[in-house]
Amino acid sequence: MTVINFFIYLLTMIGIYGLLAMSLNFQVGFAGLINFGQVAFFCIGAYTSSLMATKIGIPLPFCFAGGMILSGLFGYLMSIPTKSLKSDYWAIATLATAEVIRLVALNEGWLTGGPFGVMTIPQPFQFLFSRDSYPLFYLILALICVLLIYFVLSLLSDSPFGRDVKAIRDEEELCLSLGKNTRQIKLQAMVVAGMVGGLAGALFAHYIAFISPENFRPIETFLMWAMIIVGGRGNHAGAILGAGIIQLFNVSTRFIGGYVPLSPDSMASLRMLIIGLLIIIFVSYRPEGLIKEKKKVYYPKSRHGE
Amino acid sequence: MLKIKDLQKNFGNLRALDRVSLEVEGDSIFGLIGPNGSGKTTLFNVVSGFYEKDGGEIYFKEERIDGLTPDRIARKGLCRTFQIAKAPEKLTILENMMLAAKNQVGENPFSALFTRRRTARVEKENLDRSMELLEVLQLVDLKNEYAGDLSGGQKKLLSLGRVFMLNPDMILLDEPTAGVNPTLTMQLMKAIKELQQREHKSVFIIEHSMKVISSICDKVFVLNFGKKMAEGTPAEIQKNEKVLEAYLGGA
Repeated sequence: MTVINFFIYLLTMIGIYGLLAMSLNFQVGFAGLINFGQVAFFCIGAYTSSLMATKIGIPLPFCFAGGMILSGLFGYLMSIPTKSLKSDYWAIATLATAEVIRLVALNEGWLTGGPFGVMTIPQPFQFLFSRDSYPLFYLILALICVLLIYFVLSLLSDSPFGRDVKAIRDEEELCLSLGKNTRQIKLQAMVVAGMVGGLAGALFAHYIAFISPENFRPIETFLMWAMIIVGGRGNHAGAILGAGIIQLFNVSTRFIGGYVPLSPDSMASLRMLIIGLLIIIFVSYRPEGLIKEKKKVYYPKSRHGE
Repeated sequence: MLKIKDLQKNFGNLRALDRVSLEVEGDSIFGLIGPNGSGKTTLFNVVSGFYEKDGGEIYFKEERIDGLTPDRIARKGLCRTFQIAKAPEKLTILENMMLAAKNQVGENPFSALFTRRRTARVEKENLDRSMELLEVLQLVDLKNEYAGDLSGGQKKLLSLGRVFMLNPDMILLDEPTAGVNPTLTMQLMKAIKELQQREHKSVFIIEHSMKVISSICDKVFVLNFGKKMAEGTPAEIQKNEKVLEAYLGGA
């Protein structure tokens, strides 16, 4: 039973981080927006949804929607400085922004519960299930979200919007010369990514039913980056695969703690060390990741040949 | 069509453009020549909004455009190409062509998701036009190759293709044929001329080859040290002694 529970937990976390990785990949892999503050979307989605549920008592689907909307709005705010900051400086700004968000959650105790976080967050449709079967339901809910977002993001990246986004990533000046409003397109990409990240946050909060600022440290962003570096950028399947690999490693090594002669602290450090090594190996030997960006081919077998 | 008045641009103490005034008429091909460093590309960069001017005025279709962002200037119908051709490397040639099309549907997330049928129809039209243009440019066999894998000359061709795809009222071409083989150069010049005559566009072209200039241009401006040195028909320019000395190396 515990093994099954472990796998259900693992798969649910892969689903949640899969959403976060797809969101990050949409920014980094498609739009070329180097976001080192991805955890901010996660944090805002989680806090918004759980506070709407615990403080006001709004029905949970609306809390999820609220988390997505606020996180999307935050994506809009984050995209504003792309106008004046070059991409590397913008990346630094995002890192700082995410920390500011976490510090607000830590210090505005009247709203967020400060370091004690938000407790007893209600879980959707809990009354319909027993304590044993609920995790399975939640896993299915998470997987439906992943499939839905995968489908929506694939439609977007395959559309003229997705083409514009990729073109801006590769040659922004050219896009300007063709009359593309590149600022607006980047803004839209950030809003889309923010909403996906916010959904992941809401799913996470209502799953573990207790959140605190500890859940939203910069190291989470690092994990999401590891996922898209390993899985591959510029395609959505790579992000999910990367989330699977990194989470499998990250979660399962927590449970073998009892079997290795190491203190929990050194285990945690060792875990990060190994993920860091993995990143170095991938960046050096397989920079495109496990799954490459897909080329869009027209007339695969036309008279013109390839 | 395009009117430039006393345009100035400085880089530090260097006067890249020193009170340049010129007028490009509609429905014509104008050339811009001058030695290296004379300010030709700078002029294009200022006109297309990529550089800020330090003085003067620019009018396009009777409307002031200096101070506007490059994308707004492009949307008003003034499109430029780059001397070192740019092409999004992870888009194929066909995608590059379709990227340039005007009035696309599905260019924002909302319409991309909710007007998919209309998007698909417009995409099909743009795809067909892209294929026609690629035939002309002899790039059709490479249509599914990444633009990043092309040679410099092929990227130049692709830039022209994108401009034809966008179909603006006025085109600024910055050395469109540098790096393109001579036969294809002449074909391209013919294609530019044909397009211009068929659709009554204005073309303003930076070009080093006097042969190319005299074969297609109605009028030529000569820049030297950021100043307009001469203007006239290609035949007049070729006889202008000042130009011969500065540009053609004396005779």
